[in-house]
Amino acid sequence: MSWITVLWSINVGACLTLAAMYLAIWSRGRESLPRLLFSCIAVSAALIAAYEVQLIRADTPEEYSAILRWRPLSTWVLVLSLVGFTRLYLRAGRSWLALSACGLQTLTVIVNFLFTPNLYYREITAVRQVSWAGETISVPLGTPSPWILLNQATLLLLLAFFVDATITVWRRGDRQRALIVGGTTTFFGAIVAVQFALVVWGIIQVPLFASFAYLGIVVALGYQLCDDAVRAAHLASELQIGEERFRRVVEAAPNAMIMIDQESQITLANQQAEKTFGYPREELLGRPIEMLLPERLRSRYRDFRQEYLSDPQSRPMGAGRELLGLRKDGSEVPIEIGLSPIHTSKGLLVLASIVDITERKAAELEAARQRHDLAHLARVTALGELSSSLAHELTHPLTAILSNAQAAQRFLTNDDVDLDEVREILDDIVTQDQRAGEVIHGLRLLLKKGDLQEHCDDVDLNEVIREVINLMRSDLINRNVTVDTDLAQDLPSINGDRVQLQQVLLNLALNGCDAMAGYNCSERRLLIASQWENGAVRVSVADRGCGIPEEKMQQVFERFFTTKKEGMGLGLSVCRTITDAHRGKIWATNNAGGGATFHLSLPIVRAEKDAVVITNQGELNKTSAAMAVAGSPVSLL
Amino acid sequence: MPPTPGHTVFMVDDDEAVRKAISRLLRSAGIASAVFASPSEFLAQYNPDTPGCLVLDMAMPDLDGLQLQTALNEKGCILPIIFLTGHGDVSKSVQAMKQGAFDFLSKPAKDKDLLTAVRAAFERDTVVRQERAKLSEIRTRLDALTPREREVLQHVVSGKLNKQIAGDLGIAEATVKMHRAHVMEKMKVESVAELTRLTERFGIN
Repeated sequence: MSWITVLWSINVGACLTLAAMYLAIWSRGRESLPRLLFSCIAVSAALIAAYEVQLIRADTPEEYSAILRWRPLSTWVLVLSLVGFTRLYLRAGRSWLALSACGLQTLTVIVNFLFTPNLYYREITAVRQVSWAGETISVPLGTPSPWILLNQATLLLLLAFFVDATITVWRRGDRQRALIVGGTTTFFGAIVAVQFALVVWGIIQVPLFASFAYLGIVVALGYQLCDDAVRAAHLASELQIGEERFRRVVEAAPNAMIMIDQESQITLANQQAEKTFGYPREELLGRPIEMLLPERLRSRYRDFRQEYLSDPQSRPMGAGRELLGLRKDGSEVPIEIGLSPIHTSKGLLVLASIVDITERKAAELEAARQRHDLAHLARVTALGELSSSLAHELTHPLTAILSNAQAAQRFLTNDDVDLDEVREILDDIVTQDQRAGEVIHGLRLLLKKGDLQEHCDDVDLNEVIREVINLMRSDLINRNVTVDTDLAQDLPSINGDRVQLQQVLLNLALNGCDAMAGYNCSERRLLIASQWENGAVRVSVADRGCGIPEEKMQQVFERFFTTKKEGMGLGLSVCRTITDAHRGKIWATNNAGGGATFHLSLPIVRAEKDAVVITNQGELNKTSAAMAVAGSPVSLL
Repeated sequence: MPPTPGHTVFMVDDDEAVRKAISRLLRSAGIASAVFASPSEFLAQYNPDTPGCLVLDMAMPDLDGLQLQTALNEKGCILPIIFLTGHGDVSKSVQAMKQGAFDFLSKPAKDKDLLTAVRAAFERDTVVRQERAKLSEIRTRLDALTPREREVLQHVVSGKLNKQIAGDLGIAEATVKMHRAHVMEKMKVESVAELTRLTERFGIN
């Protein structure tokens, strides 16, 4: 059998096989246009190869011309597909080059059919049988058509296009594709151009074997597409493994995980989510997330979602806010939520990680209760130290009341009763009774344990200072301590618990007195000052005692740290706890002239629109409103 | 009990309501009072010749009751002091007692207790003042004696006879008699027993 027939048949077969393969692959998803174009290229290449083998076997000029006439059509399909492929697959090549090449190619086809016998020859006079490499082949003899230049120009333009595309892809860094697709196409294209010119002009007498160049292109492109397919398959399997892993991680997560789509439909829920909300998974999937929220929070959720979708980032949801979930049984569960946006081809999904904080809340509450108890204990202890002085505080009004009353009784036994005098006495009795009542009321407030709930008010610290000095009056007399005050005018209010702030100042003042116990009476002076600056009110209590050794500056605020024989070491630690709860600061310094000063700094009230703790904002004075600073109302002891 | 004319209660207390009420109570019993808000105010205005007593609050700023007592003792003031105390002033009370406090009343004090204490204090004040007056009278009489007469006086009150005195002093018995007569006259006494009683208080015997 003729080796030419064998070789060209193999060529045709290979091209058709590849064309069929990729056509089949393309027809599956009809997504990848380059695959379809590749099939077109391969089919065209197969046709060209078939024409070539027929040309080799052509006996008459007519036969030769007829076969050659159809060839440009295949070339046209091939060129257009190749250009399209390059543009789509490599995303390279100048469009004007592509358009010009395709245009010229189309023109050659038209010209081909306008003139007889074809584009290449003005006429074919004879077909000569020559012997070539052991085979007899047909070689045409005739006058080449000047239109053949059009063909060559098209080929040159195409080469330019491929070279340009190759360079672009190479520069982009995708060298494999540049070499395999661009490089191969350019190389074989050049071969086709050169060989065709030489044959048609009769410079060499060989059969046209451009189809082998096309086969080279087809094989190269096929290889590249195959490589892509393998990689895609690999990625797909990895993706599958990743997805499986993701699912397992989500499933095994200790938190409840729920994924929702843009319509707020639940698309994924793990075991913990079932447990937290009490719904089986089937009842969650595809349902709106709102079903897991208490009714009253749903509108707020919608606002939040709007806001979140406009700027999706990983962040906690409603930080600092009380979040509640709704269980299937209708009960509510305190939760904390972290959100992560997941961008997918199906749009933005949001993965919510939900922690049931019931236990944590309970623990926090328990801790708060313990702090509260401790603060109360410390307060009662402090008042215990003052008890005899406080009793004394009551004896003044009681003495006045008794003496007034007995004086009145005596006046009334007289014949000539001075009613004005008696009236005056009764007035005084009432006044003194009220005074005693106030002492008792103040004491009761301090002794009362109070609720754990926050009771925040706008507090004027100057007033608190005065109340504390009043409370300590008798004690100060007994201890021979003189208190001087330097209180700032128009002190802005701070937001807090009046009783606890009294406790802090009482502690600081008592400490100051204790520090001066061993000193000469004339030296026992306490200075209590208030001032405000940078959005905070500062109260300082300065004594003239022995001061604090530098190394113990921090230690003094630690629980059970004490230098006193009968001290429990609670006072200052409780002061710090209370101050912390007020988002304030407490610290100590030594005075240049001896003694120590304790400073208490508390943030000035500000109007906060969505405070957790609803406070009685009252009438904020303008200064404090202008001085508004961060620091929301606090969760107190 | 009848009102005690001429006696005044001096009251020192830092609490105005207490001052007012107690002075009112005293007035209801017909007792005059003068009130002072602080020990220093009292010290500034105090006239030792005014009879009466002092009602003193134990705990006060600046000088407390105890310190005022000390200051008055140093001045030789004889006013009896009634302390009004609150609770827990035990140690101070003991101290006050040692310094010669007349009485203690705890606040709030009943009218009877207070008035009884005040009247007793007035009596004490009267007695003390009379005693003081008597003593100063005797002192004046003693001061009028010549040195020789004083010597004779000492011998007389020690129970010696004129003869023994004359011997001891180395003078004539008649001279002793004359001095003795002068002494009896200047000391305004009738008998040796009376003279002895008067001079006992001054340690002359």
